[in-house]
Amino acid sequence: MFSFKWFKKKSPWILHYNAGSCNGCDIEILACLSPKYDLERFGVINCGNPKQADIFLVTGPVTYRSRERLIQLYTQIPEPKVVIAVGSCACTGGIFRSMYNVEDGIDRYIPVDVYTPGCASSPELIMDAVIQAVDIFEHKNQQLQSAKKLYRQPVFEQGRFCVSNVAKSLKDKDE
Amino acid sequence: MKKNIQIPLGSQHIALVEPVKFRFECENERIKEVSSDVGFVHRGVEQACVSKFKFDAIPYVVARVCGLCAITHSLAYTQTIEEMLEVELNDKIQYLRTLMIELDRIHSHMLCLAHVCENAGFEAMFMDIMAKREPIMTLQELISGNRIQFDYISIGGVNRDITPEIQKRGLEILAALKEEILLYIHEFQNNWSLSLKYKGVGVLTLDEAMSYNAIGPLARASGLATDVRAETSRLPYDKIGYEMVLEHTGDVFARNQVRLKEILNSIAMCENIFEGLPQGEIQQKVKGKPNGESLVRLEAPRGELMYYVKGNAKPMLERVRIKTPTFSCIPAFMEVFKEEVYADAPAILASFDPCLSCTAK
Ligand code: SF4
Repeated sequence: MFSFKWFKKKSPWILHYNAGSCNGCDIEILACLSPKYDLERFGVINCGNPKQADIFLVTGPVTYRSRERLIQLYTQIPEPKVVIAVGSCACTGGIFRSMYNVEDGIDRYIPVDVYTPGCASSPELIMDAVIQAVDIFEHKNQQLQSAKKLYRQPVFEQGRFCVSNVAKSLKDKDE
Repeated sequence: MKKNIQIPLGSQHIALVEPVKFRFECENERIKEVSSDVGFVHRGVEQACVSKFKFDAIPYVVARVCGLCAITHSLAYTQTIEEMLEVELNDKIQYLRTLMIELDRIHSHMLCLAHVCENAGFEAMFMDIMAKREPIMTLQELISGNRIQFDYISIGGVNRDITPEIQKRGLEILAALKEEILLYIHEFQNNWSLSLKYKGVGVLTLDEAMSYNAIGPLARASGLATDVRAETSRLPYDKIGYEMVLEHTGDVFARNQVRLKEILNSIAMCENIFEGLPQGEIQQKVKGKPNGESLVRLEAPRGELMYYVKGNAKPMLERVRIKTPTFSCIPAFMEVFKEEVYADAPAILASFDPCLSCTAK
């Protein structure tokens, strides 16, 4: 039977965005795809379309001009998605931290799952990050697949069920 | 029937990792007008150089303007400071600096060629060139300790020495690469898909190159003999066998040829440096604070890079101005796109090898 789950597990695709980096980390990502390191053997493919992507690789500090695109791209990637910040710039702003046109790390705008240090991040580190991301991706995927409970868990407040509080507030409302 | 359409390319595009936005005004398939927007990666490096960092830390800051020609940036800046402080450097330092800058040129040109192949739809060649580029990265790592962004140059010298083992390994790597490049030249001239696709595409004539002030490989592919390496004598290019490479057709094909032949020339120069490295210290004492102004030009992989620095005997500089190769080339880029088929736009763009990080700083 056709199973989406299986494909997602085996081949998460990558989207790469340069949010204002110096190209150092970008060419290291390219080097990762080259035969010496060959990231593609883990089933990841570098694609250009956010709608097909599962893993989002971001390099560079966020500049004022690129933040809009960053968020647009992030929101266009379907759930579940994993974000990797490549290079110290993307993690914290790096050497560009608090320059006037720079908004430091990308985690100010989008949630980051894996941080990759280094300036420039070496291909080995990027590969490690992607492998971790694949794990996180699988975990997120499982969470998404599991059945959701819609009722709220009862919360204890001062040794009593909160539910009674809710009932009380409802009663207050009625009055 | 004529129909005008506007097609945007960028800021995020598969053909080019860098954020640049072009807007093509097309008539059917032909591009008529082009406008570009390059400000996506503006970070404010120039401002930071005069307000956040002291002058002796700036070599490492300006290296981060661009990851591909980092060494050229830090070298150009260092030279301006050394000129102001009147430091005389020994031969060994000069040779080591030239070595790194030429290695950088080799790997940058190879990356560009790989991109051009990828945009021709020749994925296997892309992978091949990327694989053959790796030994150069390894060599850079051996010499400087990092693959990219090696903070190798400091004011008054370089930060690491090279050992006889590295020298031997380097010569091996360069000899192997030379064979490969000769094969690539053959391939780029005779392979059906590469030469057919690229002959006559994206032509920049000599007149256009002159009037739009093209520089670097873009100009040399049109037959315009401009190269900073031949014009200034800060680095020992005349002693290590520099030759200018010229082509005359000005299309994508010619640009590829210029790059390939320049790689050959750079390999020869690096071999000469490895073989005839003079003895000496790698770091010289530098005293004082920069005072006055100074201007340095260097040939980056993409063309002329210019640094203007003004200091007034304080640790903080007064002005740092960076003029980068791609910025000067943009008018020429625009001209090339006109009257081309839209489908060729990514390939032409890749053949310019633009560096938007430099341009926007
Ligand atoms: S971490 Fe370093 S190499 Fe990477 S984008 Fe930032 S400055 Fe460039």
